[in-house]
Amino acid sequence: MTNPVIENIRLSLGRTAKTPVSPRPDIISPRQPEPVEAEIQRFLKELKALSAVGQRLSPDSLAEAFKSLVAEQKIRKATVWETAYLKQLQVGDRLRALGVDLISPHAEKHLLAQCDLGVTEADFILPETGTLGLRSSAEKPRAVSLLPHTHLVIVTPDALRADLHQVFAEAKDSPYLVFITGPSRTSDIELTPTLGMHGPKYLCVWIVDL
Amino acid sequence: MSGETPTYIGFEEYSKHVPASIPAAVQQATSRFVNERAARVAEMPDWEQLRQNGSDIRLHTIENLDVYLTRFETAVLAAGGYVHWASTAEEARGIVVQIAKDHNVKTAVKSKSMATEEIGLNSALEAAGIQAIETDLGEFIIQLAGTGPSHIIVPAVHLKKEEIAALFSEKLGIDAPTDPLELARIARETLREKFLSAEMGISGANFLVAETGTLVIVTNEGNGRLCTTIPDLHVAVVGIDKVIPDWESLTVFLKLLARSATGQKISTYTQFITGPRRAEGEFGPKEFHLVLLDNGRSRVLKDPIGREVFKCIRCGACANVCPVYKNVGGFAYGWFISGPIGAILSPQILDTQVARELPFASTLCGACVDVCPVKIPIPTILRHLRRRVAQGDEFAGPSMPIAIKATAALTALALGWSWVYRLGSRLLLLINPFFRHDGWLSGMPYPLSRWTKVRPLPPFTARFREWWQKHVSRDGNEISR
Repeated sequence: MTNPVIENIRLSLGRTAKTPVSPRPDIISPRQPEPVEAEIQRFLKELKALSAVGQRLSPDSLAEAFKSLVAEQKIRKATVWETAYLKQLQVGDRLRALGVDLISPHAEKHLLAQCDLGVTEADFILPETGTLGLRSSAEKPRAVSLLPHTHLVIVTPDALRADLHQVFAEAKDSPYLVFITGPSRTSDIELTPTLGMHGPKYLCVWIVDL
Repeated sequence: MSGETPTYIGFEEYSKHVPASIPAAVQQATSRFVNERAARVAEMPDWEQLRQNGSDIRLHTIENLDVYLTRFETAVLAAGGYVHWASTAEEARGIVVQIAKDHNVKTAVKSKSMATEEIGLNSALEAAGIQAIETDLGEFIIQLAGTGPSHIIVPAVHLKKEEIAALFSEKLGIDAPTDPLELARIARETLREKFLSAEMGISGANFLVAETGTLVIVTNEGNGRLCTTIPDLHVAVVGIDKVIPDWESLTVFLKLLARSATGQKISTYTQFITGPRRAEGEFGPKEFHLVLLDNGRSRVLKDPIGREVFKCIRCGACANVCPVYKNVGGFAYGWFISGPIGAILSPQILDTQVARELPFASTLCGACVDVCPVKIPIPTILRHLRRRVAQGDEFAGPSMPIAIKATAALTALALGWSWVYRLGSRLLLLINPFFRHDGWLSGMPYPLSRWTKVRPLPPFTARFREWWQKHVSRDGNEISR
């Protein structure tokens, strides 16, 4: 089976199918982690610079936090990842108690698009850039962090990674990974900074201590 | 200009018709990006080392491209995706249109992609009765306006909010205010409905990771995520130069890209997509197709100087600092890619004669090399392409005007043999009396009049070698005789 594109490349480069690949050049070493507390502070600082809202919460203060989020962002409909951790934190029940309608994260796309809030976890935090890394699976549908106007991420300090190298080593065999760094943005009209262009306008990150 | 492959790029002619509003708007954008980039680079103590890594890895990938592409293809197939190889733009268009027809697609949502601009995909889809909607806000605006991009990152930067409001009112049939935030909201609502109803999402990719067959897509608005998450069918069109060896290499490019492009530490969304979705409730496409586009790239690889253009990661930093680009904007470059990188890419992909003016659309100041995150030697390639344009190359015959060729040959002769040079400079002394006015030479005949009309020349003295010996040879520089 010959592929004309590959054949032409080999012809131009003077290579054959048997020419060995030269060793890949080396890459500078990854950033070293700082103590957890310093990493969290750095992450919160980056979130603020990105117009996202970052908070540290204890499990006891969750009720209050949900109450103000629902009031401030006028949340009426929400969808939540059905993961063990979010169930353990009783995210769905808390929202329902505040009068919020819950839509299944597997609901039809038009229904999901009506949600004001999507709640997820994150697999990774990269403090240096204020980045969250989310893998997807049947319990963790991709649309929950994308369609609603407000995206709430509940995460523990366990997710901290010092640099991209560590994240990629763990996640490279995942079928899907997305990095989220602040709310959706554009500057396409007269360079005016605009949030919530196509993705969420409000990004809230709650770091819940274990 | 959105679409067709150009048969001639008349840079000089186009640049004469650039409205004054374009350089003004473009310079606002470029100066912001230049400042933001500088701030980010200053925070990175190992920036120069990262650039060197980036350059080394890209060059290494180009030199082993067949290996990495083959590896990449194998991995995509293993992940359940389809791979199509397209030798030409026409083949690529045909493949995408066929996939769309096979799935009864009526509407396709598109995330910004240079490769689909390069092949003119939108017009091909429209000809097949398929509506292709650009969803990046800037691209959406210029698609409505029916023009090309004036800047790689902010393609509609040349349009004022009043013009955009008028455009929205006319094309979308709504009363649009002139507030940028409101205009963005209107675009969001209009496009949201399209995202939810489109049967196909079309994207490009910033990188292809050979190790696992992964597509890396970077956006700020989130339209790239919607295009590749909501419709059941995802088709990506990507140039064969986009492949990189592995995830370890990717760490370098993700650190370089956003900092160089917009001065962000990282773009808002970076997606890593390996094949179609695995689980029903996961969202994401059921079917994933990748079209790998050659379109002349494998031919360009023959040229060991010119092929370094493929190190490019499309950040646009070179355009932001380019004195020529900042004064003409993107349109004058006549194709999907503008600025210094366009001036070295278009002539190589299209043909040196089709884009023969572009290598000359530069002052060779070298500002682009200083900011290029992968150290592409742009001025060197520009000079190399100027030579190819003038002398012809294996892809096209020479076609410089005879007069210029003769002048070049005579100059080469004069500079090559010093007695010819000396004789020539003495002969020039004879010209002086005819055109000398107030100690200057002016009013000379064509073609020299093109110079003297603007400013006079000092009289010829034939004393350069003498001067040089007196002033310079003292420092120990030897002068050949």
